[in-house]
Amino acid sequence: MPVRSAGIAVALAFALGATGARAADTKPAEAPAPAAAGSKPAKAKKAGQQKQGKPEKSDAATAAGKKPLPAARLDAAREALAGDDDAAAVAAAGSLGASGAGNAAEPLAEMLAAGASPSRAEAALDALAKLGGAGALTAPRTFEVLDLYAGHRAPEIRQRAVKALGTVKDTRVTATLLARLGDAAPGVRAAAGEALAARRERAATPRLFALVKRGDAGAAGPLAALATPDLIPQVAELSGTVDDGVLASVMGDYLQRADVPDGLRVDVVRTVARMGGAAATTALVEYIASVPAKDNRQSKREAQKLLDEQAGATK
Amino acid sequence: MSARVRAWMAFVALAAALPACATSPYKRAGNPAEVAAALARSQPPAAAGRSLVFLVLGGAAGPRVAAYDLSAARVVWTQPGDVTTRIAVGHDVIVHGGKAPGATEGSALIVARDIGNGAVLWQHALAGDERLAGYDVDGNAVYLVVQTLGLTKRGTTGAVVALDPRTGLLRWRHPLPTGRVAGPAVRGGLVAVPVDSQYVILMDGMTGMELAQVLSTAEAATFVRPLPEGMFYGSRGVFLLSAGTARGSRQAPGYLLAKLPPFVRPFYWYDLYRPEQAQYSAIDRNHILWRVTAEGDRARFRDDTVAVHDYRFLFGFDSTSGTLRWAYTHPSDAVGSTDTGSVIVFVSADGDIRALDRVTGARRYEARLQGEMVRAATFDAEGFSPTLPKTETGAGPAPDLVEALGAIVADPDKRFPDLKLFAIEEIGRLPGRAATEKLLHILGGRDLPPLAVQKASEALAARRDTQSADLLAAALRLHADYAEGRSAPPVDFLARAVGALGGMGRSVTPELVAQLRHPETPVQSAAQIARALVATGGEEAIPALRDYLTMYRADPAHDADPSALIAIAEALLKLGGAADRRLLLFVAEEPHTVAPLRAHLVRALGETEPGVGTKTATRD
Repeated sequence: MPVRSAGIAVALAFALGATGARAADTKPAEAPAPAAAGSKPAKAKKAGQQKQGKPEKSDAATAAGKKPLPAARLDAAREALAGDDDAAAVAAAGSLGASGAGNAAEPLAEMLAAGASPSRAEAALDALAKLGGAGALTAPRTFEVLDLYAGHRAPEIRQRAVKALGTVKDTRVTATLLARLGDAAPGVRAAAGEALAARRERAATPRLFALVKRGDAGAAGPLAALATPDLIPQVAELSGTVDDGVLASVMGDYLQRADVPDGLRVDVVRTVARMGGAAATTALVEYIASVPAKDNRQSKREAQKLLDEQAGATK
Repeated sequence: MSARVRAWMAFVALAAALPACATSPYKRAGNPAEVAAALARSQPPAAAGRSLVFLVLGGAAGPRVAAYDLSAARVVWTQPGDVTTRIAVGHDVIVHGGKAPGATEGSALIVARDIGNGAVLWQHALAGDERLAGYDVDGNAVYLVVQTLGLTKRGTTGAVVALDPRTGLLRWRHPLPTGRVAGPAVRGGLVAVPVDSQYVILMDGMTGMELAQVLSTAEAATFVRPLPEGMFYGSRGVFLLSAGTARGSRQAPGYLLAKLPPFVRPFYWYDLYRPEQAQYSAIDRNHILWRVTAEGDRARFRDDTVAVHDYRFLFGFDSTSGTLRWAYTHPSDAVGSTDTGSVIVFVSADGDIRALDRVTGARRYEARLQGEMVRAATFDAEGFSPTLPKTETGAGPAPDLVEALGAIVADPDKRFPDLKLFAIEEIGRLPGRAATEKLLHILGGRDLPPLAVQKASEALAARRDTQSADLLAAALRLHADYAEGRSAPPVDFLARAVGALGGMGRSVTPELVAQLRHPETPVQSAAQIARALVATGGEEAIPALRDYLTMYRADPAHDADPSALIAIAEALLKLGGAADRRLLLFVAEEPHTVAPLRAHLVRALGETEPGVGTKTATRD
């Protein structure tokens, strides 16, 4: 299909040029007047202030654990991704993702930049997430494409883009993830929260707390992962205004963090116990189960005691 | 000309010919000399020098009548009693309808009270076969127009009955030529009675002698109204009674019709043929307030201003252009209002008494009846012209029109959708940033009905306020955020307003681009953004346009409605260079592109020569 190949070549050149040009457009020097949080200009400015938009680790060799795919295989993948057969395109995307190769992202990013049907886009984003998980997403243009798709109209696509974006070691990612915490779709918010928690982005804490305050269950785990000790009483104060299940989830996950002093854990255990209800009991049970059997720390004993008291009271 | 109008004209012509008929009771109708002579006999009423409002009160204390002195800001008297028809104020008595003990339906009781203390002076019950058409009062007499029912409709007769105002004794009784009669009006000893829809009989108040007949050829004469500046009659409009309007036509210099917006009910005075309008009703809360400057036969609305009372809202309009001069919102319904010639005075259902300058709308009087439920009010406050002390809250300059109209739009009362639309349109007509800011604020609101949002959007775009592009940019900088509980701005409308600015709106390009990239921006808004970018020449948006087009070109969600993609592609074609043309060529050829977009692009690219209408400089 020479016509199509030629067309795709043109499209790739300019579509990728478009995403590249977008990044150039939003350099701090050219950014417009202060924008609301999460808007592209503000995001670019923030990224620029941090590390001038460069990847955290630009050395592809350190990122890709496996050796690059040969050119012939990449060309075959490109052919499948652009072909008429949806199943073949999805399979090609899966294969590239499973390869873990440093250059496997290129055909995927190219296809996304040129535009694809939702099913192909989802497959490509899943593959990119997989590559990211293997530390194989290093090309700056991969960030550009994922950043673009994190603003796609379809929530399923946004969610996948956010998940993949979370694996990219580039400081510019943070602003997009923070913005997606305000997404209308719960799945996208949850994906953004998890990515931020995995990246230990403490800047996300206020927005995650705001989400918990709105009863967003997807924010509970990420908030527990990032919360500082002084935030826990504030979470406890939400009792009565927010679903106890969400609050118990925050505190239960917080109890399981290794970096929390045990004295503080004891306080949290008591707070959880005071909340009562099935969610609180589950949080305490899961906490006890998470502690190794030979570890007889005070918070574990306290949790057990409180559970026993609850059981006695109900008999 | 419609058949209805032709029929009406034929009827009028026939009526005009009637005076020539020897058997017609209206052979004097339309005689200017007789009307002039009748008017010459009447004396302009002397100013009473009072500023009273008579209140019909309800509530736990039962039905009562009260007199309130506006100048002294105090209740003068309160008396128990039912008021069934509107209070008429004379020299030293007031008259109203009342309930007779054991009265049957349709029977009427006229009650006269001393104006000084409210005591009942006399009561006059109509006979069983009599129906009350209306009444008025002056220093000389109380004038009743009554119908005496016959066995048939044609057998019903009418008469004017004059009673002594202090005693209720009969002064005279004058038969009318027809049973189809309306309530009277008296001014300076001249009694005017509308009859048979288009005639007004003028008679001497002292004797009951008929002096002249007026023929209204252009419209029915359903009211007569006495004012210090003259006697008026009319229905759809207002005629100053004079020799020039003895045969009333709309071309007469004494004819008045204010230019008013569609929401205004064109109600100048009560239809005195309709007994139910003699009762206090919604009409007292929704009508036009007007005064006249009369110069001989010529008349114009005083200060070229009329006021409109619409329940809780009052407006001042230029009567010749319909331009809004001022607006006022009260927290509760105003149950009665009047134009004293200087101020618009009104009383609210919960006892507030206010006066607004009739020309500027500035607040000039405030008082309150504590704990009272006011059902209705009649004013005797000709010339009342208060001035609030400057230190008092609310006194001073005219109210800010943008703020006043904004308050109407934001008002939670759902009874007035037309009024809200009017207020939005008026804000749109006002110049300045404040009006633009208010429209943006309205568009950002959550509770407005769709039609109001549409109106605000149209008003915003239509005003083309190039000085307020920064306000549009600020509004567009907002975006939906679930974490912050914030919803999206009305991007569609804002983009339209930016587009209307043309090149002056180009500074808003970054905000339009940000919204184009936002996932919550509706598809229709994306199309509007693209059109706005073309209108403003926002070439900086080209990368975002490319991204949008490529990202969604193969999305079947755009199959059914490709308008956004087409608008984006058109924008690229107009704003972009040769490289963008090649990109569009690819999109047109690539089989995964949604079919409607492909078809459009094939046609659009074919219609434009390469290089014509495109730019090749720096974006290649």
